[in-house]
Amino acid sequence: MRGLKGKRVLITGGAGGIGTATAARFLEEGAQVVVLDRDETALRRVERELPALSGCITADVSDAAAVGRAFEELDGLLGGLDVLINNAGISLRHRFLDIPPQEWRRVMAVNLDGVFFVAQQAARRMLAGEGGTILNMGSTNGLVGYHYYADYNASKAGVIELTRSMALELAPRVRVNAVCPGFILTPMQEAEYTPEEQRAFASKLPLDRLGRPEDVAALFAFLASDDASFITGQCLVIDGGEIAGGLASQP
Amino acid sequence: MGSLTGKRALITGGASGIGRAMALLFAREGAAVAIADLDETGGEAVVQMIEDGGGRATFVLCNVTQAQDCRRAVRFTVEELGGLEILVNNAGIIRRASVLDTTEEEWDQVMAVNVKSIFLFSKYAVPVMAQAGGGVIINTASGWGLVGGRRAVSYCASKGAVVNMTRAMALDHGAQNIRVNCICPGDTDTPMLRDEARQLGEPEKRFLAEAAQRPLQRIGRPEDIAQAALYLASDASSFVTGTALVVDGGGLAG
Repeated sequence: MRGLKGKRVLITGGAGGIGTATAARFLEEGAQVVVLDRDETALRRVERELPALSGCITADVSDAAAVGRAFEELDGLLGGLDVLINNAGISLRHRFLDIPPQEWRRVMAVNLDGVFFVAQQAARRMLAGEGGTILNMGSTNGLVGYHYYADYNASKAGVIELTRSMALELAPRVRVNAVCPGFILTPMQEAEYTPEEQRAFASKLPLDRLGRPEDVAALFAFLASDDASFITGQCLVIDGGEIAGGLASQP
Repeated sequence: MGSLTGKRALITGGASGIGRAMALLFAREGAAVAIADLDETGGEAVVQMIEDGGGRATFVLCNVTQAQDCRRAVRFTVEELGGLEILVNNAGIIRRASVLDTTEEEWDQVMAVNVKSIFLFSKYAVPVMAQAGGGVIINTASGWGLVGGRRAVSYCASKGAVVNMTRAMALDHGAQNIRVNCICPGDTDTPMLRDEARQLGEPEKRFLAEAAQRPLQRIGRPEDIAQAALYLASDASSFVTGTALVVDGGGLAG
């Protein structure tokens, strides 16, 4: 990918499956990468797996003050920022009628408030520097409805819309896009679903397989690169064809 | 080693504009390229450029609205280049007119070039790809396949059709390991765009300046679209099918 060598990259939720694969991909491209996550144990593991990282920051993105401190730490590590992978997010599986207010609030706080807090800090730095690109983690769940994830889905729809507004206001020096994955088989998903359940879901997809974290990492790399320099304000779906038809209404 | 090394690509409308940029980029990335177009001079010139750069290319004269031409072009590609992994349905025309000013002949022509050609080429390419174990189809749609545009009704209808047939084809042929996606450019600086200015009776310079009024503050270049096509053609996008990739400098963000 053109234009990624030497770029300063921050990946939130960097200790999860997609975050780690993305960190590895950007390191391969010659970028300087810092990962941020609230899970300190997981961060230590990532540090061992990816010794070329420029740093690891522990922070909860739903806490605006913590995000501010994290960016001060980032300033010390990288001296600026060119690429933000705004990936931190959580999901809780529960029926709409059963969602306790505090769980709704928690999902919104991490997935929407967190994206906002981190993006705002990043955008200020990019505009003070040479510009940059922000990639927000959306989801096919933000584009169509799904059972049992009403709060998650609403938060992701919020991220997708926020992406468009950010793109308008931050242009032309900062590009902003959202990546909308379908079912990506991460360690977290492997823990939650049996191989039989995974195969059953995959067989419903046009491409008859689940996504890999590396697939999403490759899309992040393309969108962050000079090859995507005319793409902004968009959400790019990577889902094996899941939402091309009306499948998504199945529980 | 380029990301398309060993691949064979057939690009309709490859003699100029976006198709030409795709042909040149795909060849640089290692693909052998067949260009199908009505413009023989332009097409052969692109072939020459590719070969001068050490690449492999060939031209086939083709009226994309005629089934026998499309069938022949696919067969020619397979015979000349040895196979076909990537089909880029890029040929397209535009007529700037409302329903009142569009003749029946113009309506039929726009639908034939912009939509029927995709149906015909895909009809002949899919069996080849399926037999070989997979492939990639990329359709050039338009931002005006997602939103309406003034005085362009036949074009808008045709491009809306392209966007949704892309999804339908992705559903039909995923099981054959064939990915189908479309690209939705905004205003892109090509001969077709400059001809639009002429159709509207507008000075070209003003028309182009208006086209640059979008968040990224410039008009699209054919190379911008070609890069998106490269991502969709390569293994980097192997989990991506049934999508519309908008490359328009933020024009559809608001």
